[in-house]
Amino acid sequence: MKTGKEKQLSFSELADWVIDQTLKAGANDCRVSLSKRRLVNINYRDRKPEVIKEATTKNLNLEVFINKRYANQSTPDFRQSTLAGFIKDVIESAKIMEEDPFRTLPDPKYYEGRSTVDLQLTDPDYGSLTPEDRHKMVKTVENACLEKGGDKVISVEASEYDENYEEFIKTSNGFEGSVQNTYCEAGASMTAQDEGDRRPQGYNYIGCRYRSDLPSLEEVGTTAAVRTFDLMGGKKIATTKIPIILENRGAARVLSGLVNPLSGNAIQQKRSFLADKKGQSIASKLFTITDDPFIPRGLGSMHYDGDGFPARKRDIFKEGVVNEFLVDWYYSRKLGWEPTSGSVSNIIIPPGTRSVEEIIRDLGRCIFITGYIGGNSNSTTGDFSVGIIGKLYEKGQFVQNVAEMNIADNHLNFWKKLVEVANDPWKYSQAILPSLVFEDVVVSGI
Amino acid sequence: LTGVTYCHTFDILNKKIMQRRTFIRNSTLAGGALLILPALKACKSPESLLTGNYFLREFGIDETLCHKLLAKALSKGGDFADLYFEYTVSNYLGLEDGKVNQSYGDISLGVGIRTVKGDQVGYGFTQDLTEESMMSAAATAATICDMNATATGSSFNLLKTADYYPLPPDFNGIPGTSKLPFLQSVNEKCFAMSPEIIKVNAGFQNGTKRILIVTSDGTIAEDLIPSGYLYASVVAERKGKREQSGWDLGGRHDLSFYTDRVVDEIAGKSVNNALKLFDAIQPPAGEMPVVLGPGVTGVLLHEAIGHGMEADFNRKKTSTYCTMMGKKVAEPFVNIIDDGTNMNLNGSVNVDDEGTPGKKTVLVENGILTSYLHDRISAKYYGVEPTGNGRRQDFQNYPIPRMRNTYMLGGEATPEDIIKQAGNGIYVENVSNGQVKIGEGDFAFYVSQGRMIEKGKLTAPIKDVNIMGNGPKMLSNIITAANDLEMYQGGGGYCGKDGQAVQVSFGMPTCLVKSLTVGGTQQKGGRS
Repeated sequence: MKTGKEKQLSFSELADWVIDQTLKAGANDCRVSLSKRRLVNINYRDRKPEVIKEATTKNLNLEVFINKRYANQSTPDFRQSTLAGFIKDVIESAKIMEEDPFRTLPDPKYYEGRSTVDLQLTDPDYGSLTPEDRHKMVKTVENACLEKGGDKVISVEASEYDENYEEFIKTSNGFEGSVQNTYCEAGASMTAQDEGDRRPQGYNYIGCRYRSDLPSLEEVGTTAAVRTFDLMGGKKIATTKIPIILENRGAARVLSGLVNPLSGNAIQQKRSFLADKKGQSIASKLFTITDDPFIPRGLGSMHYDGDGFPARKRDIFKEGVVNEFLVDWYYSRKLGWEPTSGSVSNIIIPPGTRSVEEIIRDLGRCIFITGYIGGNSNSTTGDFSVGIIGKLYEKGQFVQNVAEMNIADNHLNFWKKLVEVANDPWKYSQAILPSLVFEDVVVSGI
Repeated sequence: LTGVTYCHTFDILNKKIMQRRTFIRNSTLAGGALLILPALKACKSPESLLTGNYFLREFGIDETLCHKLLAKALSKGGDFADLYFEYTVSNYLGLEDGKVNQSYGDISLGVGIRTVKGDQVGYGFTQDLTEESMMSAAATAATICDMNATATGSSFNLLKTADYYPLPPDFNGIPGTSKLPFLQSVNEKCFAMSPEIIKVNAGFQNGTKRILIVTSDGTIAEDLIPSGYLYASVVAERKGKREQSGWDLGGRHDLSFYTDRVVDEIAGKSVNNALKLFDAIQPPAGEMPVVLGPGVTGVLLHEAIGHGMEADFNRKKTSTYCTMMGKKVAEPFVNIIDDGTNMNLNGSVNVDDEGTPGKKTVLVENGILTSYLHDRISAKYYGVEPTGNGRRQDFQNYPIPRMRNTYMLGGEATPEDIIKQAGNGIYVENVSNGQVKIGEGDFAFYVSQGRMIEKGKLTAPIKDVNIMGNGPKMLSNIITAANDLEMYQGGGGYCGKDGQAVQVSFGMPTCLVKSLTVGGTQQKGGRS
């Protein structure tokens, strides 16, 4: 772009300018979000760098409300000279829409009461991370994985990814919010030689807000190799009804099919099998889900949600009962309900007291599910079906690894079968879930 | 269905899972989430994008500057470097509750600069097309090497390509005003078809991508790539029970593709499919014969063989197919092709994203494995010509081997013969998503709609069932194919790999797979 030199405005100054221009151009209201992300990614394979990637991205998103009409557009171009044309475009796009009386900025009374607690989302040491540090991190992970993998290794890829993110949001009716956070991830994937042409690939990637919260890098690499060994010799067994344990780190894949239908959108659009279940018990008493935005250094922690409403701690499910829907401003107006917030932050299931090992010892024959493949969940009916990978145990003893198998059920039946929650919440995620134990699940195979 | 919503809600958690190889049909989902691609006319309003030299005209990108950037990228050595300029304007209009009331838009503009040494890649990108920012991105790319500078060529030649998605000379995207009537018409037709329809969502997504590729070995390639689709997703209610279904049509088209016939097909399939589901029974569980209906079931090829044939996995020996080249993998009637040259299909490319012209690549010929899908890096590794499969999501990502339109040629049977031959099993009509584990070859695809096959006849509908198999085993288990190859004409299909989404399509004739694992809830013998 042929740039004339323009004065670099701060996010806050630019947001004010955009709001001013948008209102002058005829909009009744608007919301502007500005964000910037600096990212670095380094991958190694065969003990040499395979990929080095580094860049900064920025984005300006403008939502325009005009005569009960709405448009939302993004651009990476922050120059005021071109933004003037962009603003006109967004307004023109809104004007051709049909009228939608529900689409407005929130009533400002809902902006009030925001917590100012320090969420500790920015690693104070982030800036001191050098290219040499990053290469050293990857080499350590790679080395540990190669060493543990030994002669089974066909290929190991190790990586480091980190980013520094900033956003600023302002509306024409009084909301203003900003976020700053950092993220650092290290991990590896390993491919191993198995029987015949099978080359199982296991992986272990761990991410945190603070680099110092990562487990030891040796452990990160070693675990990638161990998780690959856990796939070796994986075979299906005969179709059976059996207890299963969803491993902590992957359990959200199944849980998401139960959480998504709680949204105001799904309910108002009649695509939710939970729409008439509020206050009803649909799961085991052990099943409580808390949405907690205030966990220090949490990957889902936040002060405000997508509408600018103050984040608050809430129980979505309480002892098996549907306690609260996820209703944003727009769908609250369509439904004629009070908004509850359409965003989820950190999702927590309170842990139990026993370890997975102890539980397996008492379960008889069971499958510990460590991975998934394919699958989907129907939000209208609650039916789901998903491929699984895991380990078969009998009376606490490991029998074999299983692959190419599947679990299927309806969410309204499935969560009633939850019989125990383990003591191992997975903290490297927005969904801080412990391993979950279910009985009598049909696992299909041969 | 909630595939996309799920990625959205738990994206941090599942980041790595989403980097596995997956395919998701965006269009079968209701509004929101990933559909919010974009939008716009742009920061400038070009009179026409088709007249060539677009980036020179609009952004002052000339040969002198390109030379300078490539020299910087190769300033510490390397085999070659390339520049990928992109300017994409996308927009989405959505209809909900009878009103076209959602307008989303996005502009993607920038350059990605890559330095390649053997199989090593240095990559920098910037959204800011100033010389200073671009030189800095080139310097980042150069850090992959630590030797003396490599010389760049002295002149550039414009690559001549075929045109697999011809556009009128004044094409400049599809304006929002012309999309509105289609959405309103889809809505009216869906409701008119049945009083049991209680909700209709419709959307019209389209994008106009302009790219310029400049390589250090002297190639310049430009392309203008249209994309888009119109979709409907409906909810039906009968006796207190609800079911949903949807359909989409699109591809690399301009507005002229979207006719009443297209609207009728989208509305008809969405409504009829949703109504059929009220009679659906619990799907069976366990191994059984599976008949794939024609068209979208080609997702099975995409997962079972396509990904495994991407040459990066084979060069790294991480694909189950890496030792099978030249070997018999299927019956002699099986021919599988990955093709960038189909007219107007979602995966077609005039030129790939590293300057290789679009081609047709035979993966399996008469049952024998014949070629991997190559980018420049893997082609050099294997000493073959690139196959035109070097693709990327956008300028923020470097190219890797990706599929285009993947299909199997038809056989000689009729669909009726095949259903009869299956005996007892299931028939797959519609598929929403799939996934594969490259190293094991294990794959899954999610059947949103199908039928039971009992005693050689199609009987009760089934829905929402995942089907699992192993790629090489499945290939050798394709025992009959019909003469009814159909290409999937949807425009909402995206394939994900290493965090990059690209548009793909596929095709399939009706065929019989001797045995796959059906992930239902009904243990065998449960239905008499």
